[in-house]
Amino acid sequence: MTLEMLLGASVFAATLRLAAPIALAALGGTVTERSGVTYIALEGSMLVGCFFGVVAADRSHNVWIGLAVALLAGVLLAGLHAYASIALRADQIVSGMALNILALGLTTYLDYQMYGTTGTPADLPTLPDVQLGLLKGVPYLGDAIGSQNLMVWTMGGLVVLLQLFLFRTVLGLRLRAVGEHPRAAETVGIDVRRIRYAAVLASGALAALGGAYLSLGVAHSFTDGMTGGRGFIGLAAMIFGRWTPVGALAASLIFGYGNALSTSLQGASIGDVKVPVQLLGTLPYILTILAVAGFVGRSRPPAADGLPYETEGHA
Amino acid sequence: MNQEQAATTGPGTASPAPSVRQLTFQWAAGPAIPVLSVVIALLLGAIFVQLSGKDAIAAYSALVQGAFGTPYDITETLVSAIPLVLTGLAVAVAFRTGLFNIGAQGQLLVGALAAGWAGAQFATWPGIILMPVVILFGIAGGAFYGGIVGFLKAVRGVNEVITTIMLNYTIVFVMHWLLQAGPMTAQNALGTPASTPIGAGARLPVIIPNELVLFSRLHAGIILAAVAVVLFWFLLWRTPLGYQLRAVGLGPRAAAQAGIDPARHMVLVMAIAGGFAGLGGMIEVSGVFGRVYDGFSSSYGFDAIAVALLGKNSPLGIVFAALLFGAFVHGGAYMQSHAGISSNLVAIIQAFVLFVIAAETLVRALTRRRRGARKPVEAIA
Repeated sequence: MTLEMLLGASVFAATLRLAAPIALAALGGTVTERSGVTYIALEGSMLVGCFFGVVAADRSHNVWIGLAVALLAGVLLAGLHAYASIALRADQIVSGMALNILALGLTTYLDYQMYGTTGTPADLPTLPDVQLGLLKGVPYLGDAIGSQNLMVWTMGGLVVLLQLFLFRTVLGLRLRAVGEHPRAAETVGIDVRRIRYAAVLASGALAALGGAYLSLGVAHSFTDGMTGGRGFIGLAAMIFGRWTPVGALAASLIFGYGNALSTSLQGASIGDVKVPVQLLGTLPYILTILAVAGFVGRSRPPAADGLPYETEGHA
Repeated sequence: MNQEQAATTGPGTASPAPSVRQLTFQWAAGPAIPVLSVVIALLLGAIFVQLSGKDAIAAYSALVQGAFGTPYDITETLVSAIPLVLTGLAVAVAFRTGLFNIGAQGQLLVGALAAGWAGAQFATWPGIILMPVVILFGIAGGAFYGGIVGFLKAVRGVNEVITTIMLNYTIVFVMHWLLQAGPMTAQNALGTPASTPIGAGARLPVIIPNELVLFSRLHAGIILAAVAVVLFWFLLWRTPLGYQLRAVGLGPRAAAQAGIDPARHMVLVMAIAGGFAGLGGMIEVSGVFGRVYDGFSSSYGFDAIAVALLGKNSPLGIVFAALLFGAFVHGGAYMQSHAGISSNLVAIIQAFVLFVIAAETLVRALTRRRRGARKPVEAIA
C-alpha cells in the first residue's frame, strides 16, 4: 500500500466523481425532508433520470434534451409521491417503497423492450467534461479537478445555492417552518401544501440530475438498476450531513472517498494482510447508523418529517 | 422521552402517525380491499402493457400459464412462495407492534449466511443433529440482525426505517467480502462467488417424488414455513406476550400506561421478526441452493413488504399474498420467454399494489363513494 493509493490526485478526482450523484440525491432529500415530507424514492427518481435521459438523448441526438427529459421523469415520479403523501395523506414510506419498485420495474421493462439484449447505442451524446486550461500542468490540482464533468461543478454550485436558499432567504425559512411546525406556519399564512409540493418535486429533479450524470456523464449508457443504491446512500448522506446542503456534501465526499479507496486499494495489502476492500462499501451505512444513534454527533430530523398534514378546517 | 428523542423516533411511536401501520388493522374484516387493490394494480398493469405496444391479455395468460400451467410449475410457484411467507411474517410481526421492518432482506441474508456457515462447518454431522443446528443458526442470525434495529430504537431512539435500510446495504457488502475474499469463500466451478457446500444432513429433502412430478424442487421448507405461520398466529393471539406486542402496536402510550415496557418489546419483536426472515434465508440455502451464493436472494425481503400489507398482517392473508407473489415470480419468467414481455411487469404490478395500499384513502374514497351511491337506491327500495 502506498500514499498514492490513499491520497493521489486520481483518488481525489475519483472521490469527486463518485460523490457527485450521491450529493445530488442528498440535496434532494434535504430539501424535501426540510419541508416535512420523507421521500425514500430518491433512488427511483435517480433511476428514471438515468433511463429516460438516455432514451431522450438517443432519440434527439441532443444531450441537453436528454438532461431535460431526465429531470422531467424524476419530477413526475416525485409528483406521484407528492400527490399520495400530501393530498391523499398516504404512508410516505410505503409510497416511497412502491415508487422505488415501480422505477426499477418500469426502466428494466422498457429497457428490455427498447434495447433488448443489444444495450443502449454506443454513439449516445454525453454530458461534457469541463477542461480547465489554466490548471493544465499544475501539479495535483490539474489532475484532480482540471477535467471534471459539468455535473460535478453543477452539484457544487447547487450546494452553495441551496445552503443560501434554505438558511438565508425568506422562502427557505418558510420551507423549514413547514417542516418543523406546519400548524404554526399555516397560522402565519404560509401555504403548507404548496411548499411541500414544490419541495418534493424539486427533490425529484435533484435526484434525477444525479441519475442523468450517471448515465449520460459517466457510464455513457444505461444498464438495469445502474443506480445501485446511490439514492439510498444519498439518504444516508442527508442524515449524516444533518439535513443541510453543506453537510450533505461533506458526507457525500466521505462516502465517495470510501468508494474511491475500494477501487484504488484493490489487491493492496498491509504487511501480509490483504485489505478487505469489499468492507469499505459498508462505510456509508455504518457511519449513518452511528450518526443517527448519536455516537457520531447528533442527527435530528425536522420535527414534522414524514407526518401528513391536514389543515385545521379539514380535521 | 424528551422532545428530541420523540422527534428522532419519528412517525410510528410517540406521534399519532395516521399510517398504514395503524390503519391496516381497521380494514374491513374481509379480503375485499386487498383483492380490490390487486384488481386495480392488475388493471393499471394491463393499461401499461397496452401503452407499451404489447398485448395485455397475452401477457396475463402467459403469466398464469407459467405459474400454474403444469404440476411442475405449481410446485415451482410454491418454491418461490416459501421464502415470501417467512419474510412476510417478518414484516407483519413488526407491523403488529407498530414498527416498519424494511430490513427483512438483510435479516434473510444474515440467516442464510449463518445457516450456510454452520451447514458447511459441521458438514459431517448426522442430519438428525445437523438440521436443528442449521435451523437454529438461521433463526439466530436473522434475530441478531433484527435485534440490532430494535435495540437502537429502544435505547437511542433511532427510527427503524433508517436502520433497516442501512443494514440491508451493509450486509450486501459484508456478504461480498465473506464470499469473495473472506473466511467463507470457496472455489466454485461456475465462477459465482459462493460458500462451501453444506453437508448432506443440512439439506432439506425434496418432498415430491419424481414419479409424481419430475424434477420438482419442492422441499421440506414448506413444512417449516407452515409451522412458522402457526407460530406467528399462536404467538400473537394466544400468548400474553403477543397480546402485549399487539397492544404496543395499537397504542404505545396506552400500553406503557398499562405497564407494558415498549422498549423491551421493540428489541424482542425485531429479534422475532429477524428470526422469521433468517429462517427464510436458511430454507433457501438448505432447500434450494445447498450453499450461499453471493447475492442469491433476488428480492424476497423487499417483496415481503407488499406481502405483509396485502395480507393485512394476518397469518392466512400472508399465505395467500405470498402465493400470489410466488406465482408472479415464477410465472414472470415464463411470460418473458414465451410472450416476449419483460418479467419486470411483475415488479410494476407489485409497485401498483403497494401504491394503492399506501394511498388507501383513495381506495376507501372509491368504496365509500360506491356505498354512497348505493344508499339512495336502498332508500328508495
